[in-house]
Formats: sequence, C-alpha cells, structure tokens
Amino acid sequence: MRTEVILKILGVVLLFNAFFLLISLLISLYYKESSVTPLLFTTLICLIFGLFPMVFSGKHQTLSFSEGIVVVVSGWLLACFVGMLPYVMWGTEFTLINAWFESVSGFTTTGSTVLHDVEALPKGLLFWRSATHWIGGVGVIIFVLLILPHAKNARITLLNAEMSELSKSNFHFKTRTTIQILVIVYVGLTLAETVLLKLAGMDWFDGVNHAFATIATGGFSTKNNSVAYFNSSHIEVIIMVFMLISGMHFGLLFGTITGSRFNIFRSKVVRAYVVVILAGILLVAAKLYTNNFYGWIDALRYASFQVISVGTTTGFATADTAFWPVFTQMIIIYFTIQCAMTGSTSGGLKFDRVYLFMKSVKKQVNLIRHPHGVFSLKMDGFRISEQLERQTMLFIVLYVFTFFMTTLLLSLLDIDLKTAFSASITTLGNVGPGFGNVSSLGNFDSLPAIAKFILTISMLLGRLEIYSIIALFTVSRH
Amino acid sequence: MIVRLKTKLLAGFMLLASLLIVAGTISVLEFIKLSSSFSSLLNNNYKSIEASKRMLEALEREDSGILLLLLGEWEKGRSILEEADSSFQSSFETAKNNITEDNEQQLISAIHEQYNAYKARWINPIVYTRKQGDISWYHNSLHKEFLEIKLVINELMSINQNSLYNKTSTLQINAQRAVMPGIIAILGAVVFLVMLNFYIRKQFVEPLKQIKTAVKKHAKGDSMISSGINSKDEFKELEVEINQMLHRIQKPDEKN
Repeated sequence: MRTEVILKILGVVLLFNAFFLLISLLISLYYKESSVTPLLFTTLICLIFGLFPMVFSGKHQTLSFSEGIVVVVSGWLLACFVGMLPYVMWGTEFTLINAWFESVSGFTTTGSTVLHDVEALPKGLLFWRSATHWIGGVGVIIFVLLILPHAKNARITLLNAEMSELSKSNFHFKTRTTIQILVIVYVGLTLAETVLLKLAGMDWFDGVNHAFATIATGGFSTKNNSVAYFNSSHIEVIIMVFMLISGMHFGLLFGTITGSRFNIFRSKVVRAYVVVILAGILLVAAKLYTNNFYGWIDALRYASFQVISVGTTTGFATADTAFWPVFTQMIIIYFTIQCAMTGSTSGGLKFDRVYLFMKSVKKQVNLIRHPHGVFSLKMDGFRISEQLERQTMLFIVLYVFTFFMTTLLLSLLDIDLKTAFSASITTLGNVGPGFGNVSSLGNFDSLPAIAKFILTISMLLGRLEIYSIIALFTVSRH
Repeated sequence: MIVRLKTKLLAGFMLLASLLIVAGTISVLEFIKLSSSFSSLLNNNYKSIEASKRMLEALEREDSGILLLLLGEWEKGRSILEEADSSFQSSFETAKNNITEDNEQQLISAIHEQYNAYKARWINPIVYTRKQGDISWYHNSLHKEFLEIKLVINELMSINQNSLYNKTSTLQINAQRAVMPGIIAILGAVVFLVMLNFYIRKQFVEPLKQIKTAVKKHAKGDSMISSGINSKDEFKELEVEINQMLHRIQKPDEKN
C-alpha cells in the first residue's frame, strides 16, 4: 500500500471541495454574512492539506485495487469531515454530532436534516449544504477522475471501486468517456433545471440550490417547509420531472440525447421502473381520495410528488406524509426500500437489483420445473453473468441484514419502532424523510447523539453500497 | 524538473505556518469582536437597567415621603422627597443619555412626562392644608400616577433585560466561533506534523538508507551503485555523483 499515492489523490478531493467552499465564501462575502470566517478557514484547510501532498509526491500512473478501495472510502470520509467544519465553526444548531450528521447526509445525498430552522442559515452555508449534495451526487471520486489526466490505470481502478458492476452496464465506452458522460449529463441536467426553476418563479439562489438537490437526488431545501413553501404547481412539475430523470441510468440518458439505440425508451428496466412508480402514484392518490384527504386533483398532485420524491431517493416534500393513511405510508416505505436505478445519482438498494431479483426468482422456478434446462438472465439485452447474479443476491441479503442491525441498534436506544424502522431504511437508501419522529416535514434532531452517529454509518453504507466498506476491512497492507 | 529538498521542506513549513497564522488571526479578530461586544453590553443595557432600578427605588422613597407629609411630618417628609427627587433626576439623565434599543426613546419621554405630572402634585404644600390626612386623595390620584410611572420604568428595564439576554446568547455563539478556529488549527497542525513526519521519513531517511545499502553493496564488489531512488531531488543527484566518482576512480584502474 503506497500511502503517498493515496494521500495525493485525497489531496485532489480536498482541492475539489475547496473550489465549492470558495464559491460559498464569495456568496457569504457578497451578503456580508457571519459565515465568512467558517467558510474561509475551511477553504484554507482544504487548500493546505490538498496542496501539501503534491509538494512531496511525484506522478503515479498505477493504483492497485486495494489502494483504490482505500482512496474511495477515505475520500468519502474525508469529504464528510471537511464538510462539517463550516457547520461546527458557525455553531448555533450545529453541535459536533449535528454537523457530522448534516455533512454526511449532504454528501451521501440522503437529505435528512437535524435543523429546525433552515432559513436561519446564512446563504453561504445554505449553498455549501446544497453543494455537498452536488459533489456527492455523482460521487466524490468521479470528479477527481476527470482531473487525473496522466493516470489511466489509476482511473480504471478508482472507477471500479466507486461504481458497482451493475451501474457500469449501459456504459459502452472507455473509462474516461464514461466519466465524461456522467459529468456532462450531470452538469447539463443541473443547468437545465436551474433555468426552468427560475422561469417558474424561483430566484436564482433557490433555483441553483434546488437544482443541486434534485439532480443529486439529495433533498436539502433552502426552506423550512421544503418545496411546499413555494406552493407552485409549475415548480413541483419541473422538480418531479427532473427527479424522475435523475433516478435513471445516466448512460441511457446520454444515449437518449445522442440518439443511440441504448436509450430510455428502449430499456425494459426503465419501462418497469416508470410503471412501478405510476402504479404507486395511483394507489396512493386513490387512497388519499377515498379517505377524504384531498379531491382527485390534489390527491394526484401530492401523491405523485411524494412517490417520485421517495422513489428516486430525493426526499423533497410538499406534504407531511406522517398524517397520511397507513396504506399510503406502506407504499412509500416500499419505494424507500426499492430506490432508483443503478448508474444514476441515487444510493441504496436500487431498482435494477429488485428487477434482477424478480428475474432470478423466475429463473429458479423454471429450474425447478426443468432441472436440466439452461436459463440465462438478461437485462436490456445484456446477459447477466452467474457471478453478477450471485453478487446481486448477496448484496440484497447484506442490505436487509444492515437495515435489520441498524433498526436493532436504534431500538436499543429506546427509539419507537416506527421511527427506528423508517430512520434505518431511509438512511440506508439515502432517501431522507421517514415516518414517526423523522417524517417528511420533521427532522432527526430529537434522536440521541449515538443514534445520529449510527444513522450516518448507515448513510455511508448505503452510498458506498456496503461492498466497498467490507472490502476496506479485507485490504492487505502490502 | 528537480525540486530541491530545501524547497520541499520550506513549502511544507510555509503551509503549516499559514494555517497557524490564519487561525491565530481569525481567533484574535473574533476575540476583539467579543470584547467589544462585552463593553457594548455594559454600556448599552447594563447602565439602563441600573438607572431603571435606581429610579424605581427613588419613586418608592418619594411615596414614603408623601405618606409622611400626609401624616403631618413636614420636615422629615420634605427631606426624603428632595433627596429621592434628586436621585431620580440623576438616574433619569443616565437613562436618557443611553438610548440604544427600539422604543426606548418613547419610554423615556413617557417617564419624563408622567414624572413631572406626579411631582407637580406633591411639590405643592400638603401639610396644614385640606390634603393632610386625606387618604382617598392620595389613593385616587397620587398612588395611581405612582403605579403608572413604575409600569413604564419596568417596561424600560424589561426591554434592556431582553436585549441583554439576546446579546449574551450571541456572545456565547461568538465565543464558540472565536475558539473553534484555534481548536481546528491545533488538530490540523497535529495531523500536518504526522504527515510531515511521514514525508520526511519517506523523502529523507529512506533515500539515505538506500544509498547506505548501495554503498555497502559496492564495497562488497558491485561496480556501480543503484539505490533505486526515483525522486528528482538532491538524493538522486547524490547517487549520480557517487556513480560518476566511482567511474572516475575505476578509469585509472582500467588504464593500469
């Protein structure tokens, strides 16, 4: 294990964070806010610790898989650590654990918050909070890969460590092109949504922040009442469309724009994903209407926003689902478990794995009926290897196990079952809101400090897809 | 490009120094802000609260003086009233010259107006007049006005106390903001020194060991030394120089 190589790449992660901190600092300076000092100091820390390894390290072309795993996991941890510094220094609602929770929630694009009064934050800090979503959305390491021009081998290793095997399907390009596509689609979607939100009546600041949170499938808003604050159907429709798009595979989105045959209209997985979401919307809307919560129009409006928001792991809210009928809550919990597609900015279990699981069940049934038959699994025309199938099934088991253990640990802290259950699954799926004390318009501040820390680990496990963390503990030192 | 060891070390220490300088400057600036907030707390609110307290005390004494006059104790009553009035006036001047909060000016004007009206009632003779011993006159007019002035003074005290509380909360936050850069800088410096130690070992100690091993190998018979140093600094130059020296030493031997 070459520590100097790892430190140098981590330095680039810090420099990338410093860039966004600098923008936040300029915003703070412009508005003459009290967050100037925390942002200035954190920017300097990132610059100093980012530049320092470059003074001593030379160029490195290669990176072993073990080094790649260490870079990815420690890159995320480091980003979360420096991300919390402006919060800790600014104080008020940010205790040490609250700052860590908010930072991890930001970078992992979970969007759960501990803040009671988001609007009390200075604009500079609000921007930084949204920027953590945007950096974490496409992956802390992905941006680093884009600016490592000389290290082709290192790039491949890092991409393998950062993205799951399933996520890389539908990217039919070389590593550098794949990364470029990811970034182009990401930046393009963000710009498009910002302009549309501005046209729909948001100011530029809110537009940029909400676009960051939507495209990253994060969910941090600049308002205490989230998107409900704007009470605008135009804004809700724009955000819904972009949430849905951001929950899809970026390779397929790029294919759709460039007219490739690998596009969202030809993908059976995308079709199934959209159908499941539509079914969820209709079921929730029907229940809300029959229980006299809203008329048909409003039932459809609120149901579609909440289902898409949770189904894409974004977590914005236009209504407090904690007061909705239990049936609708169960549907929303299903979407919290299912999450969005692989290759998107979402975390958690991912729809493709659920889809593959269903196909695998069908295959097993066929094998029972025809023991000597040969059945292969295909997704969007691509054959799924036995190894990938096994990996996916094992991932689902690990995911359920992690979720169960988190719930168990929270119940040990005397947290009620509904809150413990939904907090565990919503953080592991990087969704954001849950039920009970952590509902869509509530927050996580009421939980004990240890519970908050456990949930941050859950967020990181969900974001890094568990395997990376396990791989870290099996990495050899040599 | 050759990066000199001196440059590397200097760059490392410069980065550490800049971290400490910035943290120190921020902490000092925050502490200056903090101390000015303390003095503004004392000057703005504490003075007004104390003046209000003294005004209330003077009013109570004036009330006692009036009661003595009603009982016919002219000399004692007048002396208490004059003393209390002088104390009230001086406290009122302090409060009047220390207006810092919203609505404070209106309250000061109201106190001024109401106190003058109150004083006009007791400044006229009471002893040996019809008013002496007239408890209902005292109760219906003097005491009522006395309570009204107290109410306004209490309001003045209350807005200053609230402001003091809010400013103290802000001070608490500012104190944390002054301390945090220092704590983070200390932790940062520790991490930095650990990293620096790592790089010094990697860039200074290990190449020296490599050269020592290579020289030992040469002593045992290797014609040239190959330490395996990849860095582009003085250590690489040293290896090259040693090899050139060995080459020059070996040449005359070959000639012989």
